[in-house]
Amino acid sequence: MSKATVELPPKAGFNFDLCRRNDMLTKNGVHAPSFLKTGTTIVGLVFEDGVVLGADTRATEGPIVADKNCEKIHYMAPNIYCCGAGTAADTENVTDMISSQLLLHRYATGRESRVVTALTLLKTHLFGYQGHVSAALVLGGVDITGPHLHTIYPHGSTDTLPFATMGSGSLAAMAIFESKYREGLTDFYIYILYLCQSIARDEGVKLVTEAICSGIFNDLGSGSNVDVCVITKGKVEYLRNHQKPNPRTYISSKGFSFLKGQTEVLSTKVTLLEKPQQEEGVDKMEE
Amino acid sequence: MGSRWSPYDNNGGTCVAIAGSDYCVIAADTRMSTGYSILTRDYSKICKLADKAVMASSGFQADVRALQKNLAAKHLTYQHQHNKQMSCPAMAHLLSNTLYYKRFFPYYSFNVLGGLDNEGKGCVYTYDAVGSYERVGYSTQGSGSSLIMPVLDNQLKSPSPLLLPAKDAVTPLSESDAVDLVKDVFASATERDIYTGDAVEIVVINAGGIRRESIDLRKD
Amino acid sequence: MTIFVGGFVFQFDGFQKKAAETMKHAHGTTTLAFIFKEGVIVAADSRASMGGYISSQSVKKIIEINPYMLGTMAGGAADCQFWHRNLGIKCRLHELANKRRISVTGASKLLANILYSYRGMGLSIGTMIAGWDETGPGLYYVDSEGGRLKGKRFSVGSGSPYAYGVLDDGYRFDMSVEEAAELARRAIYHATFRDGASGGVASVYYVGPDGWKKLSGDDVGELHYKYYPAVVEQEMAEVTIA
Repeated sequence: MSKATVELPPKAGFNFDLCRRNDMLTKNGVHAPSFLKTGTTIVGLVFEDGVVLGADTRATEGPIVADKNCEKIHYMAPNIYCCGAGTAADTENVTDMISSQLLLHRYATGRESRVVTALTLLKTHLFGYQGHVSAALVLGGVDITGPHLHTIYPHGSTDTLPFATMGSGSLAAMAIFESKYREGLTDFYIYILYLCQSIARDEGVKLVTEAICSGIFNDLGSGSNVDVCVITKGKVEYLRNHQKPNPRTYISSKGFSFLKGQTEVLSTKVTLLEKPQQEEGVDKMEE
Repeated sequence: MGSRWSPYDNNGGTCVAIAGSDYCVIAADTRMSTGYSILTRDYSKICKLADKAVMASSGFQADVRALQKNLAAKHLTYQHQHNKQMSCPAMAHLLSNTLYYKRFFPYYSFNVLGGLDNEGKGCVYTYDAVGSYERVGYSTQGSGSSLIMPVLDNQLKSPSPLLLPAKDAVTPLSESDAVDLVKDVFASATERDIYTGDAVEIVVINAGGIRRESIDLRKD
Repeated sequence: MTIFVGGFVFQFDGFQKKAAETMKHAHGTTTLAFIFKEGVIVAADSRASMGGYISSQSVKKIIEINPYMLGTMAGGAADCQFWHRNLGIKCRLHELANKRRISVTGASKLLANILYSYRGMGLSIGTMIAGWDETGPGLYYVDSEGGRLKGKRFSVGSGSPYAYGVLDDGYRFDMSVEEAAELARRAIYHATFRDGASGGVASVYYVGPDGWKKLSGDDVGELHYKYYPAVVEQEMAEVTIA
């Protein structure tokens, strides 16, 4: 009995035929090239009048460190930044695409972008691709309604949290947050805030740094340096390489020298650039 | 149809050995890990098998430990029968056979054996998991080996022992230079291999006996 | 196939795969041997690879079983090394028991019988047993699938098609030892030139009535310039700044 109905592509939404094809190919032993992954520690926390985002700077390809000092805190809008974990290409491009949509939205409305707008755009995009865009994000920013922090999972689900961690080092970082984060970071210092605004901020940066370091040292997918981004009302401080806890431990005092003549010279031909024979050269090129 | 249970794990780690005219340097990092986790930062991968034979092993710790115990037992028997320590070439042969006897359920261990031969010259033997072995001037095994081997080739490459007429094939390095090179290649491998780090333990064997030293590596 | 070891039930094939991954493979090899007027010539390259990684450039692929017999190595390095070592022991015991050296026919059959008993277990060996016995020169090809062939001319390994090309073209029975050695060397060199998994040093052995002798060991990189001398360009523009 032949199949009566021919399978048609769905009328709406995305077509995942290629994903099924790729699964089939993988099962038959054809493997896609590996992607650059940011086996990562990314975190964020909310304090009284802003958010602090943090990230490590290691990018891996399997067991090899592909980039020792990459940037994982991405720009979304002047008042919103986003940490990315997962496939490097996906996190970079998804934040870029949504960033442009936010810019167009600002041009259309003439208002500052809101964090929830970025959140909604990101989650609808990721949900549409059913987890095939592997980006796990920590989104943070300050808008008209105050400071906000969200996590977004690759399938499109989101959370709204006072402190958040993501990536392979998320457990190590969360251990620090769970033991040291206090609501006091917002409430306890409120009265001091009026006297000296920077205390809660410094406390936040210190805690974020500690959480990232926990990921750097205890998770093999994370490493190298600490990047921090502090967003407050009308102000962004992007502290690139805020801390560098992993210098090289040993450098040979002698260094390496390479002898000349290791590659055999079979022929030498010197062409002078002094008098280029332009006419002849041009003719030859055009033949 | 998920991923099936496996009797093996990979605990990572890197080993290096260099033979000189009258010394042998054997080194390994001290990190033991599984997946993305560090199990311990202070685990010695180097095992003294006899007075003049030291083995460094990476791979699966349980198999490595079983192999070390097996060899230690056989060496004890040898001592009782012959009233002497096993020589490094003899130990090399024993290790090969021990590995091959588990050909159909191998020890998941990647070994380098270093020491002094019967003439007091440095010797390094390098193995695969099922016991194929070869005497070489230098070798590296484990997770960082593909990063280190090209550097050793560049710095130490000597004429092949298979050449006829034969050419002198001794590592042209002094003992202190060899130790310096080992420290440098480990610091470099640690930069790029996530399974190598924490510290490097260096064992030097020469006519004076066995000496151990260690330096710190990156801990991330 | 499911077998029982140490209380664990496990899939045999899974372990075979795992074991194969951890093995140093000398397939990615060129070995050859042939009989001629004066005896037998045996030659091989010296490269071992694990996937795309060259794990050694100095493997002894010609194994000296006893002073009158040689074995070659292609396939799993450990399998070849171990079973040739084992064969060496068996040959010596035969010698002690019978007061004369084992024939090449007998030795190759000992090995073939062992390998046949392990058939299907995943051993990987392609070897030639070459030597001189009471009947003169002997040459057999033996492999882990159970095969055993008597012959005058063999080549084994990934580079064998290239080696055969040179060998079949240049072979004559009445060559001198020097001519034969040169033919073997050239065949190995040309195989290493076209086969990326072969390389290193081309070793050539000769087995005659007085036992084996190593005739040469040449870096194939240097052989290249022997077979294809570098043509130094004659015209060299003079460096004169006008």
